[in-house]
Amino acid sequence: MRSNAVLRSDGWGRESLLNVRIRHALAVVIACFAFIGALWSPAHADDVDIKVRVQNVPTEPGTKKQPVEGVAVVALDPSGVEVAKGVTNAKGIADLTVPPGVTYTIKLDPATLPEGLALPEGDSGERQVEATGGLGGNATFNLGAGGPEPKSKLDLLPQTLLNGIRFGLVIAIMSVGLSLIYATTGLSNFAHAETVTLGAVSAMWFDNTFRIFDVTTGFQAVLQLGMAALFGMACAAGFSGLLETRVWRPMRRRRIGLTSMMIVSIGIAIFLRFAIQLRFGAQPKAYAEFSSQRNLEFGPFGITPRDLAAAIISLVCLGGVAYMLMRTRTGKAIRAVSDNPDLSSATGINTDRIILFVWVLGGALAGLGGVLFGLDEQVQWNMGSRLLLLMFAAITLGGLGRPFGALVGSLVVGLFVQLWAWWFSDFTDLKYIGALGALIVILLVRPQGILGKKERIG
Amino acid sequence: MSWSAIISNALYAAIGVNAIGYALAAMGLNIHFGYTGLLNFGQAGFCLLGAYAVAIPVGIHDWSLWAALPLVPVVAAIFALMLGVPTLRLRSDYLAIVTIAAAEILRLVVSTPRWTGQLGGTDGITKFTDDFRNTIPFEKAQFFLWKAKMSDYDLWAIICGWVIIAVVALVVWALIRSPWGRVLRSIREDEDAARSLGKNVFAYKMISLVLGGILGAIGGVVLAVGNQNSNPTTFQTQATFFAYAILVLGGVGKVVGPIIGSVIFWFIISFTDNLLSQLTDDKGWKLPEWFISANNYSFTRWLLIGLGLVLLVIFRPQGIFGNREEQAFDVK
Repeated sequence: MRSNAVLRSDGWGRESLLNVRIRHALAVVIACFAFIGALWSPAHADDVDIKVRVQNVPTEPGTKKQPVEGVAVVALDPSGVEVAKGVTNAKGIADLTVPPGVTYTIKLDPATLPEGLALPEGDSGERQVEATGGLGGNATFNLGAGGPEPKSKLDLLPQTLLNGIRFGLVIAIMSVGLSLIYATTGLSNFAHAETVTLGAVSAMWFDNTFRIFDVTTGFQAVLQLGMAALFGMACAAGFSGLLETRVWRPMRRRRIGLTSMMIVSIGIAIFLRFAIQLRFGAQPKAYAEFSSQRNLEFGPFGITPRDLAAAIISLVCLGGVAYMLMRTRTGKAIRAVSDNPDLSSATGINTDRIILFVWVLGGALAGLGGVLFGLDEQVQWNMGSRLLLLMFAAITLGGLGRPFGALVGSLVVGLFVQLWAWWFSDFTDLKYIGALGALIVILLVRPQGILGKKERIG
Repeated sequence: MSWSAIISNALYAAIGVNAIGYALAAMGLNIHFGYTGLLNFGQAGFCLLGAYAVAIPVGIHDWSLWAALPLVPVVAAIFALMLGVPTLRLRSDYLAIVTIAAAEILRLVVSTPRWTGQLGGTDGITKFTDDFRNTIPFEKAQFFLWKAKMSDYDLWAIICGWVIIAVVALVVWALIRSPWGRVLRSIREDEDAARSLGKNVFAYKMISLVLGGILGAIGGVVLAVGNQNSNPTTFQTQATFFAYAILVLGGVGKVVGPIIGSVIFWFIISFTDNLLSQLTDDKGWKLPEWFISANNYSFTRWLLIGLGLVLLVIFRPQGIFGNREEQAFDVK
């Protein structure tokens, strides 16, 4: 295991001063959490949920109702003002949070229905629901018969592969930071998950608070969401950098070992995750823009413009990181620090600054990954921690501490997750098992990971 | 505001089945982490296996509880071997990530709705405790710990649990002071040195993983039988981190550390929960709703655990009672 000898040069004789600095550091972290708290006013305690269910009811006997995902629904109050909107999830359910005691009109957007499904004749696509205090209400839309021919498994394969790559790219953009941090400091940073969530949540706060652009046109919606995403990235990067300067760096100077630091990162992760839940609430929420789009069809592949853009953004960012690592002075310095911190420090590289740079970069990418994942699925308080294991699986698969390994590993993870869901279509709730199982199997045959250097470790 | 109720409930939680179950799980972690230096982040998986090794045969296939109990160590040992073979030769980070992944796989499998009939699904398994209930030596009655109420079943579970803890603590104590225990600690201090003395480090680590895993599984059985429910939510990844918090609180590398840690841990958790519940209800003085309300006060336990873990590791890594020489926090 690598030593925690980074910055040995001024690690002695300043124990008491640094002790004070750590206390000071914790105060800053707490203040930072308080800031997050202030960002969000708690969800109104009295608001209730109207559960909207959209399902496909095929006419053939013996077929079951199927949930329909990705349908946009809105709740209008009696004066016709939109109170809440949502998109159905994989279970075909969207929860609209509204104040109780009013009768709402729940309206379904027919343009967002999947190809070949439609409301039955005579169904206006509206439901009247009275939201009662405490219970909320329910609205169900049964889509008409005559859905498309169910596709055979083989026909679904190209789409599955595409989804796998898409998911893999999002995981990659989150885990590059985790991998770089591991490479330069040796720390398995569990708080990275919360950096992801923080990016997504703060972008959503910005998006909902500052409506700068009129989002009726596509281009302006892109600008609006882009600004929100930049804000989210800045928050995540700032948080990550603050942790480095105020927590990890003083801990390294006190020669606190990596295992202790890992446990501290778990503590920070738990604290922050529930602090976010406290303020953000437990319900998943979608960004106001691009919540529902139609697929663009390319032969057997279908992708929404939103997802295509997200994949391109991930690719561009990953390419940028790769270029930076291979071609720039900073990149060279990062590789030097991850190879041997003592030696690179001796050659005049400012390891402190390099490590801080890696934390900030990793945080920004994690925040971006959070926004992209939140666009694809939804933003939820535990989204990062649900993905953390996949991120760890990705960087371990690719070879711990190898940034390109993170990319390869992430694609493997993304493909395994989607292929599992494709092959075991009855057990899609177990789809993460595919990736975690792959991790264990690959470690058995190739312990150093796919791109890892063969060396004796342990 | 009733201080007597708050304190008596907290005292009850401090000796209750959760404290016992987590103490056992943390004692297992202590063997892994405190004595051998193995970073097992999947203790929740071992607990889950123990609980389900009892709940599935008894609750679903109508075995006798006593016939199912011997399965517990067997299942835990098999799981430990499966985890250990690929990872124990590698750096400690690999074991950490593989154990956390394996524990999560187990939890996902037992909670999948498709196999509710076989594995219990998200609601878990109940009705496997009749054999234990029949052994209760006293009459059906309500018992009191000051103001905290408990049933005859709860009392009997607590008594049995503490007997188990006493036995386990004695065994661990004897093992650790034996020559075998000294080799374990030497592996923790310097693996290469132990290897150069001709010790089979891999085998020692494996036995340690199996033993600690079995203790975790016993903890899982206590949790399931004591709460009369074997439920996947009990065994989330957070349960492992609870056990780590308990271990660090009580003192890493001390036999009684996890026991004391668990008692203190559950006292604090229950105390704050009860206090905040009273401070947010409509009776008497109330905390402002924007700050904390009856809907969300239960999250504060997590905030406390997170913050507590950070502060303990930074400022008092030896725990409340540990000494700095014995604890070698840094696993290689």
